[in-house]
Amino acid sequence: MGGLKRKSSSSAKTLAKSKKKKGPHLPNSILKVIANQKRPLNSDEEDDDVIGSDDEHGGDLYEYEEGVPEEESRKNNRYDRHDNYDYELPEDFEDENVESEDDDDGGNTDNDEAEGDDDDDDRHTRMLQSLTGMPSAAFEGESKSKPVLFTEAYPEGEFNPTRDVLEGKNVLTEEDFLAPLEGTPGYQKTSKQIARMRKDTKHVVHAPLPKPQRERLERKAVIGLVDEEFSKWVHLVKKNREAPTVYFNQDVDLGYSTVGAIASEFQPRTEFEKKMASVLNDSEVSEAHRDDGARLLELNEVSMEDHIKDRNHIAKMRSLLFRHELKSKRIKKIKSKTYHRLKNKDLKNSSLGALMDPEMAKEEAMRQEAKRVEERMTLKHKNTGKWAKRMLSRGLNVKYDGTKAAIAEQLQMNANLSRKMNSMRDGSSSDESDDEEELNDGSDEDTPSRLIAKAKEKTLKALEDDEVPNAGLMSLPFMARAMKKKNEEANEEAKRALEEYEEWENSGGENSKKTVNVSGRRVFGATAKVEAPKESRKDSDNFYDDSDGDNDMPGIEDNNIEPVRDNASPARNTITDTEFDDDVAGNPASKTTFDVAMFASGSWKKMTGSKNTESKKASKKTHAPIPQAQDKKGSRDEESEDSESEAEEMVDGILTSASKETFEVPSQAELINRAFAGDDVLDEFEKDKEEVLNQEVPKPEKPVLVPGWGNWTDIQRKRGISKQMVQKHEAEKKEWEQGLKTRKDARLKHVIISEKVDKKAEKLHTTTLPFPYTSKEVFEHSMRMPIGPEFNPSTIVGELNRPEVVKKTGVIIKPVKFEEVNPNDEVDDEHPRNHQKQKPKKKTSRRQGKVKSK
Amino acid sequence: MEVALEDNNLMEKVLPPDEQEINVELEAKEKKYLRGEGANLESLKDKKLKTQLASREKLYGKSAKAAAKIEKWLLPASAGYLETDGLEKTWRIKQTDIAKEVDLLSSKNQYDIVLPDFGPYKLDFTASGRHMLAGGRKGHLALVDMMNMNLIKEIHVRETVRDVAFLHNDQFFAAAQKKYSYIYARDGTELHCLKERGPVARLRFLKNHFLLASVNKIGQLHYQDVTYGDMVASIRTGKGRTDVMEVNPYNGVVALGHSGGTVTMWKPTSQAPLVQMQCHPGPVSAVAFHPNGHLMATSGKERKVKIWDLRKFEEVQTIHGFHAKTLSFSQKGLLAAGTGSFVQILGDSSGGGYSRYMSHPMVKGYQVEKVMFRPYEDVLRIGHSMGWSSVLIPGSGEPNFDSWVANPFETSKQRREKEVHLLLDKLPPETIMLDPSKIGAMRPSRRKEKPTRGEIEAEKEVAIEAAKSVEMKKKTKGRNKPSKRTKKKKELVENAKKTFPELEEKNIAGKKRRIGEDAAAELPTSLKRFARKN
Repeated sequence: MGGLKRKSSSSAKTLAKSKKKKGPHLPNSILKVIANQKRPLNSDEEDDDVIGSDDEHGGDLYEYEEGVPEEESRKNNRYDRHDNYDYELPEDFEDENVESEDDDDGGNTDNDEAEGDDDDDDRHTRMLQSLTGMPSAAFEGESKSKPVLFTEAYPEGEFNPTRDVLEGKNVLTEEDFLAPLEGTPGYQKTSKQIARMRKDTKHVVHAPLPKPQRERLERKAVIGLVDEEFSKWVHLVKKNREAPTVYFNQDVDLGYSTVGAIASEFQPRTEFEKKMASVLNDSEVSEAHRDDGARLLELNEVSMEDHIKDRNHIAKMRSLLFRHELKSKRIKKIKSKTYHRLKNKDLKNSSLGALMDPEMAKEEAMRQEAKRVEERMTLKHKNTGKWAKRMLSRGLNVKYDGTKAAIAEQLQMNANLSRKMNSMRDGSSSDESDDEEELNDGSDEDTPSRLIAKAKEKTLKALEDDEVPNAGLMSLPFMARAMKKKNEEANEEAKRALEEYEEWENSGGENSKKTVNVSGRRVFGATAKVEAPKESRKDSDNFYDDSDGDNDMPGIEDNNIEPVRDNASPARNTITDTEFDDDVAGNPASKTTFDVAMFASGSWKKMTGSKNTESKKASKKTHAPIPQAQDKKGSRDEESEDSESEAEEMVDGILTSASKETFEVPSQAELINRAFAGDDVLDEFEKDKEEVLNQEVPKPEKPVLVPGWGNWTDIQRKRGISKQMVQKHEAEKKEWEQGLKTRKDARLKHVIISEKVDKKAEKLHTTTLPFPYTSKEVFEHSMRMPIGPEFNPSTIVGELNRPEVVKKTGVIIKPVKFEEVNPNDEVDDEHPRNHQKQKPKKKTSRRQGKVKSK
Repeated sequence: MEVALEDNNLMEKVLPPDEQEINVELEAKEKKYLRGEGANLESLKDKKLKTQLASREKLYGKSAKAAAKIEKWLLPASAGYLETDGLEKTWRIKQTDIAKEVDLLSSKNQYDIVLPDFGPYKLDFTASGRHMLAGGRKGHLALVDMMNMNLIKEIHVRETVRDVAFLHNDQFFAAAQKKYSYIYARDGTELHCLKERGPVARLRFLKNHFLLASVNKIGQLHYQDVTYGDMVASIRTGKGRTDVMEVNPYNGVVALGHSGGTVTMWKPTSQAPLVQMQCHPGPVSAVAFHPNGHLMATSGKERKVKIWDLRKFEEVQTIHGFHAKTLSFSQKGLLAAGTGSFVQILGDSSGGGYSRYMSHPMVKGYQVEKVMFRPYEDVLRIGHSMGWSSVLIPGSGEPNFDSWVANPFETSKQRREKEVHLLLDKLPPETIMLDPSKIGAMRPSRRKEKPTRGEIEAEKEVAIEAAKSVEMKKKTKGRNKPSKRTKKKKELVENAKKTFPELEEKNIAGKKRRIGEDAAAELPTSLKRFARKN
């Protein structure tokens, strides 16, 4: 190496500079080699290598210096026409090169020799060149005594490789380069290195793939990654999707739960607070408090100085007050009109004046409100103005106090204008409510007498209150006189009013009550009372009158009830049926008739007998209230007229002997009915069924030839009904049959089940399947269980009716956090899964519950 | 009463509880509470829905299990029953025998009340069984508190009373009188006169719908809403006069028995009967419904009692030998039938059909008008021509009452609250239908349902067969070639096939698959390179 260095320094002095500048322009191949060999890289070495490699390309460097013009040399330097020579003369250069690279120290002599050879050759060719004017290459071969054969039209080069190379026959390999070196001292090392290189596939850089392929590969890789990333979440997502309820009521810890908790962490910050704290926490004071408090007095002692200070302060305030009073008195005495006008004007303009005048106040408030709204909308004073922005951007607000103050003022204004306004409105609303209360006091207790009492009270108060103000405008004598006059008038009016009230209270109240009563009763009470009994009586009368035709017991009623009525007092007519039996019990007359009736019918005996025999409770039972049994026979006859079925059972069974069979002799009609039962009934039912079926599934009409239509000629007649019609009819018939077949009662001979659509009931069904369901069966099955608290044990009602999402108001839903899930885990329904914070939530809820209970 | 009958060693004995038995029982109860099977989730493609429904089903299962356990262990009383030794038959046991064995409180429920004057009595109970209403044919109305045997009110209306019915509670009752029917308050004041109905033969109140249903002498069926007084429906049955009317407690459908032997079922929103059944060749004398709504008992004048399954409308059982003037099912499913002065109780203890369980002969000459089981008690009340009697029928009543449904020990405050709840829960009249469980389901399609694939295929096969078996006419000499004949036959078969729509679904699916595969092949050559290669 040292040799090489020397050479470069000696031979290429002029080039050195330019070469150094061109440093970055190293051919790629060289760089790669450098990288592959992984030699320790020094900057010098690199340079050496560069030079060395250049040497590889041509020892012509020397020639350049001597004869070749500048431009050519440059070209040659860049583009290696002369590289070709290198190929043709591999031995020399490789020798040199390899040696220079590999032999650290020992190769110096060899190098020198080679150099010497080189020099001689060069000199010879140069001479030849100068003689013949032919390119040096021609002579080089000559000089080496090798036959020169030009087989190619162009010299070989990067762009014109030899045919061998193209055919892949005679490609140069590392061995080719190494072969001649065998035996040289550095050879083994080099060969080892190369072998290592060959094995080391990692660092071999292949040609890049075409872009689409590369991209596809990239995509594939990315998809894999993304899939992995996503599949990680699948279980979580699935879990959440399939969870019957998702919980979002995570821990909402606001920090403090009580005022005490907040207060306990208070730290005094400002000076005042600190002072207060020092006083409050003063051990002496607290001790005194803890003791009997006697020491508190001692502590409370005020020093003389303080006392004097206090006194002076009070005196000063008093004198100030006095002065102010004097001043106001003086001002009040000023009679100048202009002065007052100006003063009034000032007052009006000032906010105070505005407040005094309601109209003005209103206007003012409106203006203020408008301003506030504008502020809130534009944020005009929040450093959004052009000026403010400029000031801020240039930092002028720091520089100048004036601007700083201005900006601060603006911000203050903004704060004022955009602050929530409560105070003013609150005040006004309270006032209003007061007024309303006052009004309500009058109106709520709506009794007129109360109202009047209130009015009276007020007038009295007014009477008492008419004192003349002894200061201000009203204190003026002429004003006072005027006021007095007015007051007198008012008083008189009030007195009159009072008198009126009293009058009303004495007489008017009663009057009004009376009228009220009259009007109230007129609607409901009196007339109803008058009319109701009349009606009932009429009704009952009607019953008895109309009952001739198909009355069940006309005879009885006609005979018995009349005398009862006669006995009864006129008042009895109005008594309703409910009171009837009591009346009967109380009325001896009716009782007698009843008893007589009982005896007459002959059932009394049996009755009592049965009473005795059956049970004692029977005595408790109802007493027959009305005499009816008297003429049972007659009633029975009439009954049997209108109600056959009823009549059969009406037996005065008491008289019949106990030994009599339960079997009753059926009537003739019934016997006949029984005998021929089922004869026509079934046929009738079949007919009915046919009818109903025809109605619900109409039978298609048979095609018929209408005379005059389609049967004019013999041929037409012969053809009969057209095929189309027949076919259509057959199709219809088929449909009809199908319709009959699908009916529920198709196989039930004895049943007709209506399949009419009930339009009113249609709204009780869904027309479409609700969303997640896709099959009717599944939907209907899922609907079969009621989920209400009436049908389920209370332990499960909650679970059954839990909403899909449980969330407390105000809880911020955080994004799903990744957590490891074992996909093989069965979903545990016992404890509703809530991906995130179930446990803390539960705790909080419990805590809250406790707090509440406290 | 149920409890009272329990520790009776003579006739009954308590079975020792066994684990297995308990489990079987629990399972049966669970099944009851599950109300049918869950849907087949395997057919679902939507995974989300699938898991959600699965978790729902799990909850239902839990609920049913809890309910079954509650029913098994927490209910205070167990049903009474009658058990005999060896050859002894239950129907030989008389009321006097029972009276000896039962406790005092139960024995108080055996009595007769003799009211000979006002004729056969109709009875009605409130839902809780606390109050009874007795309506004597000749105008005697009595409202009795059954708990303390206290006569709350009795009135005499002085005209025929054909039927009585409580409204939603004991505060109001309706009576069908000679010309009109009336509504009375508990204290006997007449509140309304229902003139529109005409002379009513039978009155029934539909508790859940607040409808007062009545059938009048000319066979018109009326439904009146008692909350606002409107006549919801008036239907002409067109079957003539009838006095057999009963309400199906399960769905609110009203059944009428007619003289032609038919039983018709009605709802207020349709003028035509929902169902007509030819039950008997002769006139129908009584109808009764099982509380679960699946069974109906009818009795015809031809001395037969039939039991029908209302889900299939088929006869389940015929009991020969007697005709009942009145029929009644108890809460536990015992069937009481009254004829003449004889009352028979049928039971379905083994599940194989109704057979004689008990009988109660009355004093001869007492004509039974109405039998009715008292709810939540083992008591049968018989209204007859001489008043009413009360007998013990062990195992007839539901032993445990649900105070949310009906509470015999209701206070007045509870009653008022209940009334409000009932009004809030009132069902509109259109909810009366044969199968109320269909409410909320998909609307049945008006068009006929598409025939299924199997049906189409079967039909197609039949048509092809028919086409093949067509006898060809023998044609003239030249035209009768066998080749031509086969060709013709083939044509016929083809035609027959054509008439059926192709089963397209498969093809469509295939097409879709092909689209994915051969997309590249179908593209123009210039665009082929862009086809996606998988």
